[in-house]
Amino acid sequence: MMLRYPRWPIHSALVLASFVMLVPFYWVLKTSLTGDNIYAYPPSLLPRNPHLFFYVDVWYAIPFARYFLNSVIVSLIAVAGNVVFNAMAAYALTHGFRGKQLVLMLFLSCMMVPFQATIIPAYLITGRLGLLDSWLGLALPQCSTIICIFVFKASFDAVPRSLIDAARIDGLSEWRIIWHIMMPLSKSAIATNVILAFIWSWNNFLWPLIMTRSADMQTLPLGLARFLSYQEDTTGALYAFCIMVLAPGLLLFLLAQKEFIRGLTSGATKG
Amino acid sequence: MASLKETMTPPALRATSPLRGEALRIRHRTRRTALVWCFLAPSLVIFLLYRIIPVIWNLVLSFQYWSPLSEAEPAGFDHYEDLLQDDVFWQALWNTVIVIASAPVGIAIALMLAVLVNSDIRGRDVYRTLIFVSYPLMTVAVAIIWRWMFDERVGLINYVARSLDLVDKPIPFLNSFTWALPSVIVANIWQMLGFYMIILLTGLQTIPPELHEAAAIDGAGAFHRFRRITLPLLRPSIFLAFVIGMLNSITSFDLVYVMTGGGPGRATEILVTYIYKLGFVQTKFDEAAAVTMVFFALLIGTTWAANRLAGGNVGAQDIE
Repeated sequence: MMLRYPRWPIHSALVLASFVMLVPFYWVLKTSLTGDNIYAYPPSLLPRNPHLFFYVDVWYAIPFARYFLNSVIVSLIAVAGNVVFNAMAAYALTHGFRGKQLVLMLFLSCMMVPFQATIIPAYLITGRLGLLDSWLGLALPQCSTIICIFVFKASFDAVPRSLIDAARIDGLSEWRIIWHIMMPLSKSAIATNVILAFIWSWNNFLWPLIMTRSADMQTLPLGLARFLSYQEDTTGALYAFCIMVLAPGLLLFLLAQKEFIRGLTSGATKG
Repeated sequence: MASLKETMTPPALRATSPLRGEALRIRHRTRRTALVWCFLAPSLVIFLLYRIIPVIWNLVLSFQYWSPLSEAEPAGFDHYEDLLQDDVFWQALWNTVIVIASAPVGIAIALMLAVLVNSDIRGRDVYRTLIFVSYPLMTVAVAIIWRWMFDERVGLINYVARSLDLVDKPIPFLNSFTWALPSVIVANIWQMLGFYMIILLTGLQTIPPELHEAAAIDGAGAFHRFRRITLPLLRPSIFLAFVIGMLNSITSFDLVYVMTGGGPGRATEILVTYIYKLGFVQTKFDEAAAVTMVFFALLIGTTWAANRLAGGNVGAQDIE
């Protein structure tokens, strides 16, 4: 832009905004490292004598490894489901066929149904399927996502028609066209699918809350909420647990920020 | 395997007689259609099971007396009539409306930030990341973080307020009937802010800079340019942010459940927490289904109104 304007007001406003966004993290991180201000007033602003005791304590206070395992398995199922099913559906949508408009209408109207408005029948249906309290049942509702289907479709639409025709003439089945032609050309769409599916599944709370019964099947968010209800706010371990749960999602986001944002905004502009 | 290969080859390459070619083409097309539906099947099944059937089942259930242990009996509008008398329901509905109404506040702040990070200043990518970083976080953890920030004795907010002599004694934010809901809303806006900002930023980037330059040459001030150029062109993005933000925030079950559990009393009860409590704590699935229908109607109604205000079919128009 050619317009001239002073920069410092912009910087100061943005620094203030970033500060507001980061302070809560800092406050929790500090408590998890010291735990010293749980009963002390005034709280110290800087961490005094930081130590990792509470991070170790978490391992003894709760079955962290079990929660972690459950979360990882459920997220992996959801990610695999998303990549495979969404790619298949998106490839189908690149073809013209009778009923395509109906399918698109169906997908768009499904987007208007938030999961929270379906919890009671979803629970009953999962019960009939015999999947309550299981990894598959936890992951199933999230195994295909409409936004992610459209991310794949946009990417597949960009693949030249002639390439696909050539593959057909060479005798590749449609199934192999997806995996050998389309997917290698859609790496960033795959990345978007993986990261969105992972974060949605990793963070999911309401569904596991409803459908898990045994303590063995609980995922990290549930474990975190349960830990809070047992311990109230009295121990630094709660905040250490918080940080440990946030870390994987945060790390993945920072690594693949571009794909994540692209997925959200393409979901936004594509409906 | 041979037949599959044959049908996948464009028929024109193989057809010797026109008749055989025609027959092959029809076979080819039915085969292709069958494959298309096979490819769609897994996603369709998931959406049927967890979107379409639940909506229908909910509707049916809300007109029945039913519990897991008893046979279904028709109930007419009984559950809905009960709701009219139910104070908790009205409180939850009102709170949900307030949460929806708070979304524009977040969007306004996000709009300011989006304009700022859209200017060509140094380090804008860093600012974008820092502001956005709260969105992908686990909401349960965000709720715990904000419980801690709002804590009565040692929360940072009370500490700052007391240090600056804004208050005489600490405010028990989450245990106060006045402050509990605003506190939850603050946490919600904090988490959604970066998301709104990204949506609006995407919209801002589609506005050609020449428009601003031309207006500036004509002597229009920054504020004027913002009002006359940026805002009108950004209208679809603003309403899109509102619709998605609303879907996200009135469904912010996690935040309410962990921060306050709907309390104190019913001060932060929203429709989703009430549905959860009716259905899964009191096992009144049929009544919960009726509340769900009201919740759903509210969602559709607000989305429809927002779409009308945005002047058209936001988002959907891009899909062929």
